[in-house]
Amino acid sequence: MSDLLEVKNLCVDFNTPEGVVRAVNDISFTVPQGKTIGLVGESGSGKSVTALAVMGLIPNPPGFISGGEILFEGTDLVKSQEDYMRKVRGNDIAMIFQEPMTSLNPVFRVGDQIAEVLILHMGMTKKQAWDRAVDLINQVGIPDPSRSALKYPHEMSGGQKQRIMIAMAIACEPKLLICDEPTTALDVTIQQQVLELMFDLQDKYKMGMLFITHDLGVIADIADDVVVMYRSNLVEQNTCENIFTGAKHPYTKGLLSCRPALDRNPERLLTVSDFMEEDGSEIVVDDEKTIKVDKVYNVDEEKNPYLLEVNNLSVHFPIKGGIFGRTVDHFKAVDDVSFKLRKGMTLGLVGESGCGKTTLGRALLRLLEPTSGQVIYDGIDITALDKKELKGMRSRVQIIFQDPYSSLNPRMTVGEILLEPMKLHSIGKDKIERIEKAKWLMEKVGLKADQLARYPHEFSGGQRQRICIARALAVNPEFIVCDESVSALDVSVQAQVLNLLLDLQEEFGLTYIFISHDLSVVNFISDEVAVMNAGQFVELDQANNIYLKPKEDYTKRLLAAIPKGIPKSLIEGQA
Amino acid sequence: MNGNLNYIIRRLIYLIPVLLGVCFLIFILFNVVAPDPVNMMLGKHPTADQIIEVREQLGLNKSLPAQYLDIVKSAFTFDFGRSWATKQQISTMFMNGAIPSLTLTIPAFFIATFSSIIFAVIVAYFRGKGVDLFIRVTCIAMMSISSLVYILVFQYFLAYKWGLFEISGYEYGFPNFLYYVSLPILIWVVLSLGPDIRFYRTLILDEIYQDYVRTAKAKGLSERTIMFKHVLRNAMIPIVTYTVVQLPFLLLGSLLLESFFSIPGLGDMTISALNASDFPVLKAMSIVSAVAYIIFTLIQDIVYTVVDPRIKLQ
Amino acid sequence: MLKQNTINDVRGAMSPSKKADKINTVLKDRSLWLDAWHRLKQDKIAVVSLAIVLFYAVVGLLSAMGLLAANWNEVVGPSYAPPSADYWFGTDFLGRSVSRKIISGTQVAMSVGLISSLIAIPIGVGLGACAGYFGKWVDEAIVWFYTTFSSIPSIMLLMSIAFIIQKFQVEISEVFGANFDIGLFAVFIALGLTSWVGLCRLIRGEVMKHKNREYVQAADALGAGHTRKLFKHILPNVTHIIIINTSLQFQIAIKSEVILSYLGLGVSGQPSWGTMINDAKEELARGVYWQLLGATIAMFVVVLAFNILGDALRDALDPKLKGKS
Repeated sequence: MSDLLEVKNLCVDFNTPEGVVRAVNDISFTVPQGKTIGLVGESGSGKSVTALAVMGLIPNPPGFISGGEILFEGTDLVKSQEDYMRKVRGNDIAMIFQEPMTSLNPVFRVGDQIAEVLILHMGMTKKQAWDRAVDLINQVGIPDPSRSALKYPHEMSGGQKQRIMIAMAIACEPKLLICDEPTTALDVTIQQQVLELMFDLQDKYKMGMLFITHDLGVIADIADDVVVMYRSNLVEQNTCENIFTGAKHPYTKGLLSCRPALDRNPERLLTVSDFMEEDGSEIVVDDEKTIKVDKVYNVDEEKNPYLLEVNNLSVHFPIKGGIFGRTVDHFKAVDDVSFKLRKGMTLGLVGESGCGKTTLGRALLRLLEPTSGQVIYDGIDITALDKKELKGMRSRVQIIFQDPYSSLNPRMTVGEILLEPMKLHSIGKDKIERIEKAKWLMEKVGLKADQLARYPHEFSGGQRQRICIARALAVNPEFIVCDESVSALDVSVQAQVLNLLLDLQEEFGLTYIFISHDLSVVNFISDEVAVMNAGQFVELDQANNIYLKPKEDYTKRLLAAIPKGIPKSLIEGQA
Repeated sequence: MNGNLNYIIRRLIYLIPVLLGVCFLIFILFNVVAPDPVNMMLGKHPTADQIIEVREQLGLNKSLPAQYLDIVKSAFTFDFGRSWATKQQISTMFMNGAIPSLTLTIPAFFIATFSSIIFAVIVAYFRGKGVDLFIRVTCIAMMSISSLVYILVFQYFLAYKWGLFEISGYEYGFPNFLYYVSLPILIWVVLSLGPDIRFYRTLILDEIYQDYVRTAKAKGLSERTIMFKHVLRNAMIPIVTYTVVQLPFLLLGSLLLESFFSIPGLGDMTISALNASDFPVLKAMSIVSAVAYIIFTLIQDIVYTVVDPRIKLQ
Repeated sequence: MLKQNTINDVRGAMSPSKKADKINTVLKDRSLWLDAWHRLKQDKIAVVSLAIVLFYAVVGLLSAMGLLAANWNEVVGPSYAPPSADYWFGTDFLGRSVSRKIISGTQVAMSVGLISSLIAIPIGVGLGACAGYFGKWVDEAIVWFYTTFSSIPSIMLLMSIAFIIQKFQVEISEVFGANFDIGLFAVFIALGLTSWVGLCRLIRGEVMKHKNREYVQAADALGAGHTRKLFKHILPNVTHIIIINTSLQFQIAIKSEVILSYLGLGVSGQPSWGTMINDAKEELARGVYWQLLGATIAMFVVVLAFNILGDALRDALDPKLKGKS
């Protein structure tokens, strides 16, 4: 089969105030017709820039292609004129972006947005293009296509918007489809449907596909060949099967092992740094070091008494309406939830976006006032505390948020951030003692003690999340709510932070509630798991039971939607 | 649709406290803080009888709350009584002044808005290039000169020296008024260009960095189609709504231009009232402009729903 | 920079103040404002603008202290002498030097900017922060309050306030003495009371945004009270808006002074650019252009500098807008 796309020694540079930065360094790969190439890497590895280079869409200035060739059916796109590129874009090569929410023009009907491509490239009349658009909307599986074509993007769900993007991309039956993290922003069940749709369409139109993602699980489901990028370089390239069975580069090995899987249940995750030194040289991993021991669920009545008891907790938000803006109804974000949690254990709270898990987490700490119900912590009813008592409780119960970029005050140094809670709760007798403790905390979370004078923006996402953890620990809490605390991080960094959380739990006997949409992560870190939907608990059980013997249909559906992380060929081979 | 109607009714009801507030502000300024106007009207040494008579005439012998109620009443009935200076019914004065004002402000406003938008689109299209820089620098420079200087210089050269326009004055009826308002219109447009181009440019550039522009590029659309179809359609949302709230001020004319060029509009009337300490006219002017402003902010909200499919009034 | 600054050193024999200094460097060795200043320094035009603004401020200060152009009232030549080597910008009707009047007018220009900012900032920031932070009925009341203010066109309000204050000439000169410039006082107050609304709106929106940021929620979870959340966490993050706004306020104030002079509500006892430009109404027809020219140039330079500085400050202090202008 001939190669549809051939990228040869591609280099892309960006001009920055600090000088020229190389975003893509000398990479070469090919996309054969009808095949899917998975391009894997972490944020900032240069994978999206590579895709934009193929489209000729690198923002210029500041970016430019500084070397190499991009041959599409033999024509070098790097040397092509903009006029020629415009005929190629949307027609021969189409692209789907990550953010379905913002990638569609909000003021045009979706039907018109699809028709626009057809009028432009296929020379259709408005009427023909509209009819074809309706047909395409039908093909991507949106119900009632002729009515849906009349909708504006904001009237559709995220998954539907991404289907519209797909319809737009395949409208001119392109030979090559570039997908840049097309399912990352979607819930897991929607992700599965969208992936299946793309697979079917590829089969139908015999497209070559360049699929960019950070998620190896998705890659295993969809790719024929895999290209791994790390810090602007291509580090490994092989068939999907070989990558998953015998990765050669230490980075790839690290990447494969740091992703928690449902069928394994190790006590720790191996991370990239277990396989590779900072300078890129390989560390020989001996089997002793590889932790294969499965975690066991055991409860010791002495060591693990009940710490938290939640009774019939509800959080309702009023829906206003009518002329005077009276409350006409309530949105039940959390609806009559009850559970108990033992000291030193972790309860995972899992569910899709909008299920109420975040609201529940905040209501436990009374960052949001619950509508009704009780939160009894160590015999004290948190919901009944007055302002002063609540402040005292704040040193026992803490929270770590999702977004490492907005959860640290950009105008305070790390030192000031860490000292503030100690001062608030009179921990340490003077500033000197508090600084000592701040330094100790920094080391505990794996940062350097001499970095106290730095500002948050000088740290990476993972490091910021460590600072957040240090801040929470500064008040010596017993119980921490982790609200999507690793969701915004790259997988390898995510693994490091998860390990850190486990180490700290072990050392200080912490109790966690771990909130996440990611079932594999929750499975890894939790002793017990609660599945949430529409404000209620669907199922609450030991982690292993939830994953291996789910009772409820909803749980089963969620579990089935998770990418297996095993290439299809291997599964079929086993069968 | 029902929600929209509810919203509009709610907004109409909200007008009441705002209007009461405006009346209160005017009441504080003119009835409480301002010195007794009677002295101003009767000169230095009035007799006691004169004072009592005038106070009664002006309704100043009433208690303060009653005076406040008078203002509130006038805001709803638009009956502002008579001017102290001209003794005319203020509502009649408004009628007479509105036409000259509107013949100046409406053409001026539309010419200024359209030309600013066109310039802003050009500037945004050539962003970062020479044209962009040149127009931006010119805008800032133009904004740094006092409006009074424009008026003085334009009148001196264009009208007085070169005789291209009438120096000042006004005539009713089409096309006669055009001879008199064209120079003020020109000055208005020149004054508006600087700030408007800069503002519209920012609005357009805000859109250029949105994700949907990248999608449009990936479709293979040309730079021009993207700019005029996709970007401009989105940028028009804030532009149109910004324009709508400016409309009520057109009714009030231009204080500076009208008084300088002796155009007998509402702006000129206000300045004369100021010079004559004619409180009722000043109060009436403030109330009318506030009512117009409040109504147009409501219209702005409604226009929003027309131009932006995402917005539903709540 | 101090690295590995050991606390044990600090505990040693050091004077208490030095000790405190050293502890503080462990926590903070440079400020973000300094970083912003370094960014601003990259922009040569902005630095020139800042220099111009500072120059005007110094000139204004010196003339206020009577060290510069104190003799502006002195007759130096014939009435309406055109510009020449003797009088750079000619003389006015009374034969006074126009150059001296321009210099003396700097004092008025800079003080209207400064004092109207000093009035508007506390009101705007105070109300805006309360509305944005506390929300609910506090917000509704404050929004009502500024909607009321902004419903009356600002020029009407400006005019009315200045007008009314001027009517109190007798009473005010009893308090402040006969030499007190009631016109200037009226300009200060009127400008101050009309220009807080814009700032209030901006601060309200910005505080609302920051209030929902996770770092404020984290402070809440750590037991911080309202005062700490508002003053220690949120306000430092909106300060840049106040600075940018002040730059804008200066140029609006300087331009408004001209309009008020035209309306006869301006400064009376001392020269100002506004009265000089206003004088040109009669002068131009006689071919006397130099008062107008002189005052316009003086004003153009400083307003342009404030304009450019405002844009540059926005770029330097608000990095998220970078690359968009």
